[in-house]
Amino acid sequence: MLTEREQERYHRQILLFGEEGQDLLKEAHLFIAGAGGLGSPVSLYLAAAGVGMLTIVDHDMVERTNLNRQILHRDRDLGRPKVDSAQDTLREINPDITVRGINATIQADNVADLVGKADGIVDAVDNFTVRYLLNEVAFAKGIPLFHGAIQGFYGQAATIVPPDTACLRCMFPHPPPGEPAPVIGVTPGIIGTIQATEAIKYLLGCGELLTNRLFIWDGFRTRAEEIRVQKNASCAVCCRSMGEKEA
Amino acid sequence: MSVRIRFFARFRELADPEIVTEVREGTSITALIYAVTENNQAARDAIFDQEGGFRRYVILMQNGARIETTRAGETMVADGDEIAIFPPVAGG
Ligand SMILES: [Zn+2]
Repeated sequence: MLTEREQERYHRQILLFGEEGQDLLKEAHLFIAGAGGLGSPVSLYLAAAGVGMLTIVDHDMVERTNLNRQILHRDRDLGRPKVDSAQDTLREINPDITVRGINATIQADNVADLVGKADGIVDAVDNFTVRYLLNEVAFAKGIPLFHGAIQGFYGQAATIVPPDTACLRCMFPHPPPGEPAPVIGVTPGIIGTIQATEAIKYLLGCGELLTNRLFIWDGFRTRAEEIRVQKNASCAVCCRSMGEKEA
Repeated sequence: MSVRIRFFARFRELADPEIVTEVREGTSITALIYAVTENNQAARDAIFDQEGGFRRYVILMQNGARIETTRAGETMVADGDEIAIFPPVAGG
Protein backbone atom coordinates (compact mmCIF):
# COMPACT_ATOMS: atom_id res chain seq x y z
CA MET A 1 0.00 0.00 0.00
CA LEU A 2 1.15 3.49 -0.80
CA THR A 3 1.14 6.35 1.67
CA GLU A 4 -0.48 9.65 0.76
CA ARG A 5 2.96 11.14 0.26
CA GLU A 6 3.92 8.33 -2.10
CA GLN A 7 0.70 8.70 -4.07
CA GLU A 8 1.60 12.33 -4.58
CA ARG A 9 5.28 11.71 -5.32
CA TYR A 10 4.52 9.09 -7.97
CA HIS A 11 1.31 10.68 -9.28
CA ARG A 12 2.51 11.14 -12.85
CA GLN A 13 3.73 7.57 -13.25
CA ILE A 14 0.72 6.10 -11.45
CA LEU A 15 -1.18 7.59 -14.39
CA LEU A 16 1.00 5.34 -16.53
CA PHE A 17 0.88 2.02 -14.69
CA GLY A 18 -1.49 2.40 -11.77
CA GLU A 19 -1.05 2.03 -8.01
CA GLU A 20 -0.64 -1.72 -8.53
CA GLY A 21 2.40 -1.00 -10.68
CA GLN A 22 3.78 1.41 -8.11
CA ASP A 23 3.31 -1.23 -5.43
CA LEU A 24 5.35 -3.66 -7.52
CA LEU A 25 8.20 -1.13 -7.65
CA LYS A 26 7.89 -0.45 -3.92
CA GLU A 27 8.17 -4.17 -3.10
CA ALA A 28 11.21 -4.63 -5.35
CA HIS A 29 14.89 -4.88 -4.44
CA LEU A 30 17.54 -4.19 -7.06
CA PHE A 31 21.26 -4.75 -6.76
CA ILE A 32 23.38 -2.10 -8.49
CA ALA A 33 26.97 -3.18 -9.10
CA GLY A 34 28.97 0.04 -9.29
CA ALA A 35 28.42 3.64 -8.19
CA GLY A 36 30.28 5.23 -11.10
CA GLY A 37 29.35 6.49 -14.56
CA LEU A 38 26.54 3.99 -15.22
CA GLY A 39 25.62 3.43 -11.57
CA SER A 40 24.87 7.14 -11.18
CA PRO A 41 22.02 7.58 -13.68
CA VAL A 42 20.72 4.06 -13.05
CA SER A 43 20.41 4.52 -9.30
CA LEU A 44 19.12 8.12 -9.49
CA TYR A 45 16.27 7.14 -11.81
CA LEU A 46 15.44 3.92 -9.95
CA ALA A 47 15.37 5.85 -6.67
CA ALA A 48 13.19 8.60 -8.12
CA ALA A 49 10.83 5.99 -9.58
CA GLY A 50 10.36 4.47 -6.12
CA VAL A 51 12.06 1.08 -6.36
CA GLY A 52 11.65 0.17 -2.70
CA MET A 53 15.12 -1.12 -1.97
CA LEU A 54 18.41 -0.38 -3.69
CA THR A 55 21.66 -2.06 -2.75
CA ILE A 56 24.64 -0.32 -4.34
CA VAL A 57 28.15 -1.74 -4.16
CA ASP A 58 31.47 -0.10 -5.01
CA HIS A 59 34.97 -0.13 -3.52
CA ASP A 60 36.26 3.22 -4.77
CA MET A 61 36.62 6.66 -3.23
CA VAL A 62 35.32 9.74 -5.03
CA GLU A 63 38.07 11.40 -7.06
CA ARG A 64 37.93 14.69 -8.94
CA THR A 65 38.40 12.86 -12.27
CA ASN A 66 35.08 11.04 -11.61
CA LEU A 67 33.01 14.20 -11.50
CA ASN A 68 32.59 14.76 -15.26
CA ARG A 69 30.20 11.81 -15.37
CA GLN A 70 29.48 10.29 -11.97
CA ILE A 71 26.59 12.54 -11.08
CA LEU A 72 25.83 10.78 -7.79
CA HIS A 73 28.86 12.55 -6.33
CA ARG A 74 29.56 16.21 -5.61
CA ASP A 75 32.75 18.21 -5.29
CA ARG A 76 32.29 18.12 -1.50
CA ASP A 77 32.40 14.30 -1.60
CA LEU A 78 36.03 14.05 -2.77
CA GLY A 79 37.83 11.36 -0.77
CA ARG A 80 34.63 9.77 0.59
CA PRO A 81 33.68 6.20 -0.26
CA LYS A 82 31.45 6.33 -3.34
CA VAL A 83 28.77 4.25 -1.65
CA ASP A 84 28.49 6.78 1.22
CA SER A 85 28.11 9.65 -1.20
CA ALA A 86 25.68 7.60 -3.29
CA GLN A 87 23.59 6.76 -0.23
CA ASP A 88 23.32 10.45 0.75
CA THR A 89 22.35 11.57 -2.75
CA LEU A 90 19.76 8.82 -3.26
CA ARG A 91 18.17 9.39 0.17
CA GLU A 92 17.88 13.10 -0.64
CA ILE A 93 16.23 12.27 -3.96
CA ASN A 94 13.76 9.91 -2.32
CA PRO A 95 13.43 9.45 1.45
CA ASP A 96 10.59 6.96 0.91
CA ILE A 97 12.89 4.15 -0.25
CA THR A 98 15.62 2.12 1.46
CA VAL A 99 19.15 2.58 0.16
CA ARG A 100 21.95 0.30 1.27
CA GLY A 101 25.50 1.17 0.26
CA ILE A 102 28.14 -1.53 0.64
CA ASN A 103 31.81 -0.62 0.37
CA ALA A 104 33.16 -3.86 -1.06
CA THR A 105 34.98 -5.38 -4.02
CA ILE A 106 32.77 -7.78 -5.95
CA GLN A 107 34.57 -11.13 -6.23
CA ALA A 108 33.77 -14.75 -6.93
CA ASP A 109 33.64 -15.60 -3.22
CA ASN A 110 31.27 -12.81 -2.14
CA VAL A 111 29.11 -11.99 -5.16
CA ALA A 112 26.26 -14.38 -4.27
CA ASP A 113 26.05 -13.04 -0.70
CA LEU A 114 26.22 -9.42 -1.82
CA VAL A 115 23.39 -9.89 -4.31
CA GLY A 116 21.41 -11.69 -1.60
CA LYS A 117 17.70 -11.85 -2.28
CA ALA A 118 17.63 -9.02 -4.84
CA ASP A 119 15.06 -9.27 -7.64
CA GLY A 120 17.55 -8.18 -10.31
CA ILE A 121 21.13 -7.06 -10.95
CA VAL A 122 22.20 -3.89 -12.72
CA ASP A 123 25.60 -4.21 -14.37
CA ALA A 124 27.25 -0.83 -13.84
CA VAL A 125 30.83 -2.04 -13.50
CA ASP A 126 33.83 -1.19 -15.66
CA ASN A 127 35.30 -4.60 -16.44
CA PHE A 128 34.25 -7.97 -17.82
CA THR A 129 35.81 -10.00 -15.01
CA VAL A 130 33.09 -8.76 -12.65
CA ARG A 131 30.46 -8.74 -15.41
CA TYR A 132 30.97 -12.47 -15.97
CA LEU A 133 30.56 -13.06 -12.21
CA LEU A 134 27.31 -11.07 -12.20
CA ASN A 135 26.12 -13.09 -15.21
CA GLU A 136 26.82 -16.39 -13.43
CA VAL A 137 25.06 -15.28 -10.25
CA ALA A 138 22.06 -14.07 -12.25
CA PHE A 139 21.68 -17.57 -13.73
CA ALA A 140 22.35 -19.32 -10.41
CA LYS A 141 19.63 -17.23 -8.71
CA GLY A 142 17.30 -17.01 -11.72
CA ILE A 143 17.14 -13.20 -11.68
CA PRO A 144 17.67 -10.76 -14.57
CA LEU A 145 20.86 -8.91 -15.40
CA PHE A 146 20.64 -5.47 -16.97
CA HIS A 147 23.88 -5.03 -18.92
CA GLY A 148 25.43 -1.74 -19.96
CA ALA A 149 28.92 -0.64 -21.00
CA ILE A 150 30.36 2.56 -22.41
CA GLN A 151 33.44 4.14 -23.92
CA GLY A 152 33.81 7.61 -25.35
CA PHE A 153 30.63 8.44 -27.25
CA TYR A 154 29.77 4.74 -27.64
CA GLY A 155 27.76 2.34 -25.56
CA GLN A 156 25.86 -0.93 -25.56
CA ALA A 157 23.06 -2.42 -23.49
CA ALA A 158 21.20 -5.72 -23.23
CA THR A 159 18.79 -7.43 -20.87
CA ILE A 160 19.38 -11.00 -19.79
CA VAL A 161 16.52 -12.99 -18.27
CA PRO A 162 17.51 -16.49 -17.08
CA PRO A 163 17.04 -19.21 -18.03
CA ASP A 164 15.68 -18.48 -21.51
CA THR A 165 17.59 -15.62 -23.05
CA ALA A 166 21.11 -15.33 -24.38
CA CYS A 167 23.50 -14.55 -21.53
CA LEU A 168 26.44 -12.17 -21.34
CA ARG A 169 28.85 -15.01 -22.24
CA CYS A 170 26.79 -15.86 -25.32
CA MET A 171 26.99 -12.24 -26.43
CA PHE A 172 30.60 -11.66 -25.44
CA PRO A 173 32.51 -14.95 -25.35
CA HIS A 174 35.77 -12.97 -25.22
CA PRO A 175 36.06 -9.83 -23.07
CA PRO A 176 36.75 -6.51 -24.78
CA PRO A 177 39.91 -4.80 -23.50
CA GLY A 178 39.35 -2.82 -20.31
CA GLU A 179 41.96 -0.08 -20.64
CA PRO A 180 41.13 3.22 -18.88
CA ALA A 181 38.99 4.73 -21.57
CA PRO A 182 38.00 8.26 -22.48
CA VAL A 183 34.37 9.04 -21.70
CA ILE A 184 31.94 11.94 -21.72
CA GLY A 185 29.22 11.83 -19.06
CA VAL A 186 26.27 11.89 -21.45
CA THR A 187 27.18 8.41 -22.72
CA PRO A 188 26.65 6.60 -19.40
CA GLY A 189 23.67 8.93 -18.99
CA ILE A 190 22.04 7.43 -22.07
CA ILE A 191 23.03 3.81 -21.48
CA GLY A 192 22.27 3.98 -17.74
CA THR A 193 18.77 5.31 -18.32
CA ILE A 194 18.18 2.49 -20.81
CA GLN A 195 19.22 0.00 -18.11
CA ALA A 196 16.90 1.69 -15.61
CA THR A 197 14.05 1.61 -18.16
CA GLU A 198 14.61 -2.12 -18.64
CA ALA A 199 14.66 -2.77 -14.87
CA ILE A 200 11.42 -0.82 -14.36
CA LYS A 201 9.63 -2.65 -17.22
CA TYR A 202 10.84 -6.00 -15.89
CA LEU A 203 9.54 -5.23 -12.38
CA LEU A 204 6.22 -4.03 -13.79
CA GLY A 205 5.96 -6.95 -16.19
CA CYS A 206 5.10 -4.62 -19.04
CA GLY A 207 6.44 -3.67 -22.45
CA GLU A 208 9.05 -5.52 -24.45
CA LEU A 209 12.49 -6.17 -22.98
CA LEU A 210 15.88 -5.80 -24.65
CA THR A 211 16.42 -9.56 -24.61
CA ASN A 212 18.29 -11.49 -27.31
CA ARG A 213 19.21 -8.11 -28.76
CA LEU A 214 22.27 -5.98 -28.24
CA PHE A 215 21.51 -2.26 -28.34
CA ILE A 216 24.35 -0.23 -29.81
CA TRP A 217 24.58 3.51 -29.25
CA ASP A 218 26.77 5.76 -31.36
CA GLY A 219 26.53 9.19 -29.71
CA PHE A 220 29.15 10.60 -32.06
CA ARG A 221 26.74 10.23 -34.98
CA THR A 222 23.51 9.98 -32.97
CA ARG A 223 22.66 6.55 -34.27
CA ALA A 224 21.06 3.70 -32.39
CA GLU A 225 21.21 0.21 -33.85
CA GLU A 226 20.76 -3.31 -32.60
CA ILE A 227 22.08 -6.69 -33.44
CA ARG A 228 20.29 -9.94 -32.77
CA VAL A 229 22.00 -12.30 -30.35
CA GLN A 230 21.25 -15.95 -29.75
CA LYS A 231 21.89 -18.42 -27.02
CA ASN A 232 25.06 -20.33 -27.77
CA ALA A 233 24.18 -24.01 -27.33
CA SER A 234 27.62 -24.71 -25.91
CA CYS A 235 27.63 -21.73 -23.50
CA ALA A 236 29.15 -22.82 -20.20
CA VAL A 237 26.93 -20.46 -18.19
CA CYS A 238 23.39 -20.50 -19.53
CA CYS A 239 23.19 -23.79 -21.40
CA ARG A 240 25.08 -26.07 -19.02
CA SER A 241 23.16 -24.76 -15.98
CA MET A 242 19.89 -25.53 -17.77
CA GLY A 243 21.06 -29.08 -18.37
CA GLU A 244 22.01 -29.52 -14.72
CA LYS A 245 18.62 -28.28 -13.57
CA GLU A 246 16.91 -30.86 -15.74
CA ALA A 247 19.15 -33.67 -14.52
CA MET B 1 30.16 -10.90 -56.79
CA SER B 2 29.40 -7.99 -54.50
CA VAL B 3 29.29 -7.75 -50.69
CA ARG B 4 28.49 -4.92 -48.31
CA ILE B 5 30.55 -4.32 -45.17
CA ARG B 6 29.18 -2.20 -42.33
CA PHE B 7 31.36 -0.86 -39.55
CA PHE B 8 29.85 0.20 -36.22
CA ALA B 9 30.76 2.59 -33.40
CA ARG B 10 34.49 3.26 -32.98
CA PHE B 11 35.35 1.37 -36.18
CA ARG B 12 33.55 4.13 -38.09
CA GLU B 13 36.26 6.54 -37.04
CA LEU B 14 38.79 4.29 -38.75
CA ALA B 15 37.01 3.14 -41.87
CA ASP B 16 34.09 4.23 -44.05
CA PRO B 17 30.80 3.38 -42.30
CA GLU B 18 29.86 1.22 -45.24
CA ILE B 19 31.90 -0.33 -48.03
CA VAL B 20 30.50 -2.18 -51.04
CA THR B 21 33.14 -4.23 -52.79
CA GLU B 22 33.59 -6.89 -55.44
CA VAL B 23 35.07 -10.20 -54.27
CA ARG B 24 36.05 -13.49 -55.82
CA GLU B 25 34.23 -16.74 -55.12
CA GLY B 26 35.75 -18.53 -52.13
CA THR B 27 36.76 -15.43 -50.13
CA SER B 28 36.56 -15.83 -46.35
CA ILE B 29 35.27 -13.10 -44.04
CA THR B 30 38.78 -12.71 -42.64
CA ALA B 31 40.30 -12.33 -46.13
CA LEU B 32 37.57 -9.87 -47.12
CA ILE B 33 38.06 -7.52 -44.15
CA TYR B 34 41.82 -7.89 -44.35
CA ALA B 35 41.67 -6.80 -48.01
CA VAL B 36 39.42 -3.77 -47.47
CA THR B 37 41.69 -2.48 -44.69
CA GLU B 38 44.80 -2.93 -46.83
CA ASN B 39 45.68 0.76 -46.95
CA ASN B 40 44.36 1.56 -43.49
CA GLN B 41 46.81 0.45 -40.83
CA ALA B 42 44.80 2.00 -37.96
CA ALA B 43 41.69 0.03 -38.87
CA ARG B 44 43.69 -3.14 -39.45
CA ASP B 45 45.38 -2.84 -36.04
CA ALA B 46 42.03 -2.25 -34.34
CA ILE B 47 40.36 -5.24 -35.98
CA PHE B 48 43.17 -7.82 -36.36
CA ASP B 49 45.81 -9.21 -34.02
CA GLN B 50 49.45 -9.62 -34.96
CA GLU B 51 48.83 -13.05 -36.50
CA GLY B 52 46.26 -11.56 -38.90
CA GLY B 53 43.25 -13.11 -37.16
CA PHE B 54 40.32 -11.11 -35.85
CA ARG B 55 40.72 -9.73 -32.36
CA ARG B 56 38.61 -12.26 -30.52
CA TYR B 57 36.24 -9.82 -28.80
CA VAL B 58 35.13 -8.20 -32.10
CA ILE B 59 31.51 -9.01 -32.94
CA LEU B 60 31.00 -10.24 -36.52
CA MET B 61 27.65 -10.70 -38.22
CA GLN B 62 26.94 -12.23 -41.62
CA ASN B 63 23.44 -11.29 -42.84
CA GLY B 64 22.36 -10.76 -39.23
CA ALA B 65 23.74 -14.07 -37.94
CA ARG B 66 26.62 -14.12 -35.51
CA ILE B 67 29.93 -15.54 -36.75
CA GLU B 68 32.52 -16.50 -34.13
CA THR B 69 35.74 -14.59 -34.77
CA THR B 70 37.63 -17.86 -34.45
CA ARG B 71 35.66 -19.29 -37.42
CA ALA B 72 35.77 -16.23 -39.70
CA GLY B 73 38.75 -17.61 -41.62
CA GLU B 74 36.77 -20.66 -42.72
CA THR B 75 33.47 -18.84 -43.31
CA MET B 76 33.05 -17.82 -46.97
CA VAL B 77 31.10 -14.81 -48.18
CA ALA B 78 28.44 -15.06 -50.89
CA ASP B 79 27.05 -12.60 -53.42
CA GLY B 80 24.84 -10.00 -51.73
CA ASP B 81 26.12 -10.70 -48.22
CA GLU B 82 26.13 -8.02 -45.59
CA ILE B 83 28.98 -8.29 -43.11
CA ALA B 84 28.76 -6.18 -39.93
CA ILE B 85 31.69 -5.51 -37.59
CA PHE B 86 31.23 -4.07 -34.14
CA PRO B 87 33.71 -3.47 -31.31
CA PRO B 88 32.03 -3.95 -27.91
CA VAL B 89 33.21 -1.69 -25.08
CA ALA B 90 33.92 -2.43 -21.42
CA GLY B 91 33.76 0.86 -19.50
CA GLY B 92 31.25 1.81 -16.88
ZN1 LIG C 1 25.18 -18.09 -22.36
